[in-house]
Amino acid sequence: MTSPLTRADLGQRSHPSDPPRPAAPAAIFTAPAAIFTAPAAIFRAPVRFAPLSRTAEPDEGQDRQGVGEHVAAYGPRPDATRQGGPALIAALERSELTGQGGGHFPVATKWRTALAAGGGGTVVANCAEGEPASRKDAALLQRRPHLVLDGLALAAETLGTRRALIWLHEGDRATQSAVARAIAERREQSPLDVAFTVALGPDHYLTGESSAVVRGLNGGSALPSLPRQPAAVAGIGGRPTLVHNAETLAWVALVARTGVMTASPSTGSLVTVVGAGQLAVVEVAPGETFAELINRSSMASSRPAAVLVGGYGGSWLPWAEVAAAAVSDAGLRRLGASLGAGVIAPVAGGHCGLAETSRVLQFLAASSARQCGPCLFGLPALADLFARLSAGRCNEGDLRRLDRYAGQVIGRGACHHPDGAVRLVRSALRTFATDVRRHLADGPCAGAVRPALLPVPDIG
Amino acid sequence: MPRIRRAPTGNRLRVDPVACDGVGICAHLAPRLVTVDSWGYPILPVEPLDRSEQRSAALAVAGCPRRALFIDHG
Repeated sequence: MTSPLTRADLGQRSHPSDPPRPAAPAAIFTAPAAIFTAPAAIFRAPVRFAPLSRTAEPDEGQDRQGVGEHVAAYGPRPDATRQGGPALIAALERSELTGQGGGHFPVATKWRTALAAGGGGTVVANCAEGEPASRKDAALLQRRPHLVLDGLALAAETLGTRRALIWLHEGDRATQSAVARAIAERREQSPLDVAFTVALGPDHYLTGESSAVVRGLNGGSALPSLPRQPAAVAGIGGRPTLVHNAETLAWVALVARTGVMTASPSTGSLVTVVGAGQLAVVEVAPGETFAELINRSSMASSRPAAVLVGGYGGSWLPWAEVAAAAVSDAGLRRLGASLGAGVIAPVAGGHCGLAETSRVLQFLAASSARQCGPCLFGLPALADLFARLSAGRCNEGDLRRLDRYAGQVIGRGACHHPDGAVRLVRSALRTFATDVRRHLADGPCAGAVRPALLPVPDIG
Repeated sequence: MPRIRRAPTGNRLRVDPVACDGVGICAHLAPRLVTVDSWGYPILPVEPLDRSEQRSAALAVAGCPRRALFIDHG
């Protein structure tokens, strides 16, 4: 519905002090089709990790893009100052890009809110990837760091600020050094486009929750809070603040290069497929189904019984329901689930879905920020009852209590951590309903003693 | 007891769950609006307050020793 935009709409860098830039390269406008129609815009092959490690396993050619390879692959970053900002927001709106950290809030709406609140402020690349089974942000920052930095610079220019923070777990050394190296590479090329600053938060599951990011960067403890106003209106220092997941920013960088000229730009997404003993980051093409994804990721059984989607606060779905669905948030919403942080864990028939859920629930209970009563007391109560169900020591009364506690916990925290735990419990009871009856009648199944499929870090 | 609402105000009674310690005074001050869960923390109505409920909501807000309850005018 929008008229084709010209290159001038992107805005040209015209500050007298700015270094001369190459005239708008043809590559930006001739290459783009490939970025969005080919299945692999960001990664051509899966990036693999060992379950509890955040260091990508070395593969042929160590597929890391320095700033030179980055520009050769995607073209230089367009400028979003002046007219470029509104054109980029319109393109982001047409692309329907949503927050890939888990919230799936429309990016264009967030940017408009921040501008309506006066702009300026701070932009944050949220790279504190807390999901134990997710590695997409680590893969991006270790292999394609300049896409994320480009996206962050575009957000800063659109908002009219130079303050750009990169929020990382203090223990994630591999990603920290990848980011530091990328910033150094950019500094070597030309004066930095924006003032990139790395900030470190504690190694906690909730450090990447957006209100925790803002609270931590405001000098408080990096734990969730109940903000009376959204961060886009009043975040860091009370000024408009955009907090975006690393992957979201990478797609912003690609939409800026191609989407501004396109009527309906589409973006894919990065997901982490959980297999036995391995996590693989795979780029999903727009429209690709779960059946297609599982077929081409050779690590997973081709016909799982069920799939956990989103993350550890996500939803179990029976394979029969999800196989033909698109691997996208919109596709999963129709099934009452969400793509969340992009974790996809197929579980074969021989594994016990209740035992897997029980271990994950123990982790979620131990990961509570312990600030809100319903989460502090409710999550351990849910986890204890579920452990009894998993072990086959549960009766009908326990099942009713599980249901009652779930109803008392959902929606009652400052953040959505307790809601995720309830989503996991309810979807497990539904998806593994037959196993629940068997565990009640006959005790634990044979699958319950098999080694865990879903990686759960030791905490507490 | 079911709430009968004739004149919704658009205001909601809300709690900051981080500030709330589950003291429970709100449930005594506004028993028709506030119930408590299995652990003693307040469960509040999701719907906007009725005009007739504003007074007891204001009492509960004023009586909270943790200043956790508030009226959301949004």
